[in-house]
Amino acid sequence: MLGILQLLYRLPWLLLISAAALVVIGTLALYSASEGAWSPWAERQMLRAAIGTMLLIVVAMMPTPWLHRLSYWGLAVAVLILIALPFVGTGTGATRWIELGPFNFQPSEPAKLAVIIGLARYLSGQTPEQVQSLISYLPVMLMLGVPFGLVLIQPDLGTSFMLLMGGLAVVFAAGVPRRFLVTGALAAAAAAPILWSQLYDYQKARIMTFLNPEADVLGAGYQITQSKIALGSGGLFGKGFLQGSQSQLNYLPEKQTDFVFTMIGEEFGFVGNLTVLLIYFAILASVALTGLRCQHRFGRLVCMGISFMLFLYIFVNVGMVTGLLPVVGAPLPLISYGGTAMLTVFLALGVVVNIALHTKMQDSDFY
Amino acid sequence: MKKRKEQKELSTIMTRRMLMLGAGQGVLGALLVGRLYQLQIAQSEGYRRLSDNNQFDRRLVLAPRGRILDRKGRLLAGNSEVFELRMLPSRISNHQAWLKRVSRLITLKPENIETILEKIAEQPKFLEVTVKSNLTQRELSRLAVLSPVLEGASFQKSYKRIYPQGWMTAHVTGYVSPVNKRDIDGEPDLRYLPETRIGRTGIEHNMEPDLRGLFGFERVEVNARGKPVRVLRDQQANPGEDAYLSLDAKAQFFATDRLRRGRWQAVPVQMPEVQEALLKNKELRAHVSMGDDLVLKDEKGRLIPPESGSVVVMDIETGEIKVMVSTPSFDPNLFSNRLSVRDWQRMNEHPRTPLLNRAISGLYPPGSTFKMVVLAAALEAGVISQKTRIDCSGAFEFGGQNFHCWLERGHGLVNAEQSIERSCDVYFYQIALKTGINRIHDMARRLGLGDVSALGLISEKEGIIPNRDWKLEKRGVVWTPGETVVAGIGQGFVLTTPLQLALMTARIANGRSAITPSLVTQQSPERSPERRTEKRTEKSAVFPPLDVSPDIIRFLHKSMRKVMAGGLGTARKHDIEQGMAGKTGTVQVKRITKEQREKGIIDNIDRPWKERDHALFVAFAPYEKPRYAISVIVEHGGSGSSAAAPIARDIMDFMLKSDGISA
Repeated sequence: MLGILQLLYRLPWLLLISAAALVVIGTLALYSASEGAWSPWAERQMLRAAIGTMLLIVVAMMPTPWLHRLSYWGLAVAVLILIALPFVGTGTGATRWIELGPFNFQPSEPAKLAVIIGLARYLSGQTPEQVQSLISYLPVMLMLGVPFGLVLIQPDLGTSFMLLMGGLAVVFAAGVPRRFLVTGALAAAAAAPILWSQLYDYQKARIMTFLNPEADVLGAGYQITQSKIALGSGGLFGKGFLQGSQSQLNYLPEKQTDFVFTMIGEEFGFVGNLTVLLIYFAILASVALTGLRCQHRFGRLVCMGISFMLFLYIFVNVGMVTGLLPVVGAPLPLISYGGTAMLTVFLALGVVVNIALHTKMQDSDFY
Repeated sequence: MKKRKEQKELSTIMTRRMLMLGAGQGVLGALLVGRLYQLQIAQSEGYRRLSDNNQFDRRLVLAPRGRILDRKGRLLAGNSEVFELRMLPSRISNHQAWLKRVSRLITLKPENIETILEKIAEQPKFLEVTVKSNLTQRELSRLAVLSPVLEGASFQKSYKRIYPQGWMTAHVTGYVSPVNKRDIDGEPDLRYLPETRIGRTGIEHNMEPDLRGLFGFERVEVNARGKPVRVLRDQQANPGEDAYLSLDAKAQFFATDRLRRGRWQAVPVQMPEVQEALLKNKELRAHVSMGDDLVLKDEKGRLIPPESGSVVVMDIETGEIKVMVSTPSFDPNLFSNRLSVRDWQRMNEHPRTPLLNRAISGLYPPGSTFKMVVLAAALEAGVISQKTRIDCSGAFEFGGQNFHCWLERGHGLVNAEQSIERSCDVYFYQIALKTGINRIHDMARRLGLGDVSALGLISEKEGIIPNRDWKLEKRGVVWTPGETVVAGIGQGFVLTTPLQLALMTARIANGRSAITPSLVTQQSPERSPERRTEKRTEKSAVFPPLDVSPDIIRFLHKSMRKVMAGGLGTARKHDIEQGMAGKTGTVQVKRITKEQREKGIIDNIDRPWKERDHALFVAFAPYEKPRYAISVIVEHGGSGSSAAAPIARDIMDFMLKSDGISA
């Protein structure tokens, strides 16, 4: 009895309630996206949320050392699937999905999480001397570089960069010496032109469009233009539920996936968008605080990485629909329609809840 | 000791870095909020205008619906151009007041305003709502004057579906009605085209995809400064395709009128005596349909409504339907715009069901017209020969039950040919029993009974041609021989539609091919008669063979000819100069009890309408070189020979004379 009360007390309630609120908002947005109907999106999203919740509970109830032990395995499996993808996957122009019966599984999404947890385990096991030594970063480069490269050649520029940034955030938080950081940044700057020359035409076009959206009214620029019109015409309070003319008349592309934030903005205005952002802030803060409270380095780094990963999703998505960033195709966590991204976020939150329940553990407990 | 210190130091670095990352996120987050503020508050006005532009620049252009024409190109369904007034709810602050204001300029009933307000409430405000379609010239000019100050109003050219032949062809053309919620659920695009009309019955429903056509639209792309950049798509509206029917409107008119008059004297409704009778006689009033211009006077001088029933005429080579009548009928024009509740109730609750297309959905026992099927089955099975004679004493006792012949005193010794000529029931009781229900079923199906045709019209009925399996499956009990006896004269379980009876007759007349009925012809109206004849035989060749021996067919023809031409033929008074072969049928609607039979059967005419016999007649002509098959049913009309045969005679005569065929 006491055990249950204690458990309930230690649960990160703010995180869980916020996540639930986002799922509700997302379902309503999808209901509106299909012009006021539960099918095809809203009902399936609810089903996925239910599956995600179960996943979250299973991961949260696991003993933390299991997570620690499973982390390399997880990364290894993720990399293997990414390697196998070109042979078993589908997708138009790019091979990004595996068809599993009725579901499309996008392995690059859970790969982001696997990289973060894998790196957290490796870096949390380093002694302070090792942290200072360059040689101990060789495995880091492999653990980060291989999945990054695999996603990049799919090709999926946006996801691969988000994966890279998430991993680098963990490395940064783990205390990599400043001199390595500076060297790394210079190397990246030098490599950029080479990378640019390796990009596919449509990827270059997207970046060019981002720099000058009006030059390309029909392509990606058209999407951004319509998205801005939808957001802007929403005003302070929006046009009302199911009343968004941009979304309902199909001016807004992809309104159920990448542009769902725009639809919320058109129908609920600045107030609606701000509410969604505040709920995200609550989640990010809750994850970060869990990390700061945690006494073992593994937990701290995992939380740090997950909070940064979630932040990247949100920032890239909102930045994209408001015209601040290029159109790279990033989902909005827990709201936009997409099974793999949603389950990945649930999995990540499960990991955070797990760590929140065991903040008093020490690094030595894992060995 | 040193190690601990280093550990601690690393931990501090980590915390600091985590805070740095957090701070970085905070800055970027603030950037997003700032951007949202910029778009949604600072520049909102400009974007709202662009969004409005988007709405207005997307104009859907309605396609005119394809016409429906008869075989000679006569218009059965077409369009007339109308203007309609629409309102955009999102542009109007007070919808009620706006509508009130408009109602001073155009006729707008309070209940219409109610409906419009309901519609506004249930759909997004950025969708236009039709205020009134079919504006008169006067209304149009009044509104035009005021339109600059009438915020949110727009005019749109639209089409109204019209049926110039009205109720004469209503069951064939069917009707259209406005888009409803169910349509939109199935086809979401329709919500943007509220003035679309959807075919609900008949050809309008059957050929909906072809008739409707494709709407076009224009969309003007604007840039961030609201300047039109280019027309994104400009798609012409694609008018629906015309449908050419095999129907002959002129013959249809003749047949409709002929059927409605029956064998009685027609009295125009305007006559004072009729007006008086309509006031006094509640039943008569209820049975006379909307738009009926005449009533009838029966042999006892009573005023009665026009006859209800059906006529189908079919080309026996091509299966093309020339006439398809069902009376009473309705005015399909009433459905084109929103049907009033009162009109709907009147049609729906009318005791004679004017909305029912009797030709395909009316189920009737075929009665004695079924005897060709039984005779053919018996001859094929070899249980009788063409020479078999049976003694009719007026009744047939079987299983402790008496099955009566319609001729109480009996026909005496009757052979196969005479059994058709005089329609001897006892003969058929006995040969049906010998043949067995399964073989009768098989023959009936081959002749086109018991299944829906290839017409594809909605609500066409299959009818019932029973056999042993059917009874076991549907009723859960085994077939009894007594039921075979009753089926022998086309009663009991057997049910057919007028279309099926015409098809049966046409297949007997054709004799070689199992023709199927058709209503839509691919070609535009017929050209030269030579070409047509060529086409007719060509077409006949593509049907599967009928698979009934020519010997049997020839015998059926001969027997049916006797019905018209024999000294004792049941329809001997109703032959035509070109020579017709037919068969009468009189169907009991109510069982005659033993007591009634003993007391003497009440004359048909003295029974309540609903309890009178159905009168049936099927025929083909000319006898020597058959061209058309006809089936006539007069509901509760009396005997087939007196009520149905004369109608068939006149219609067939009309058809053949129109084709220039005389004796």
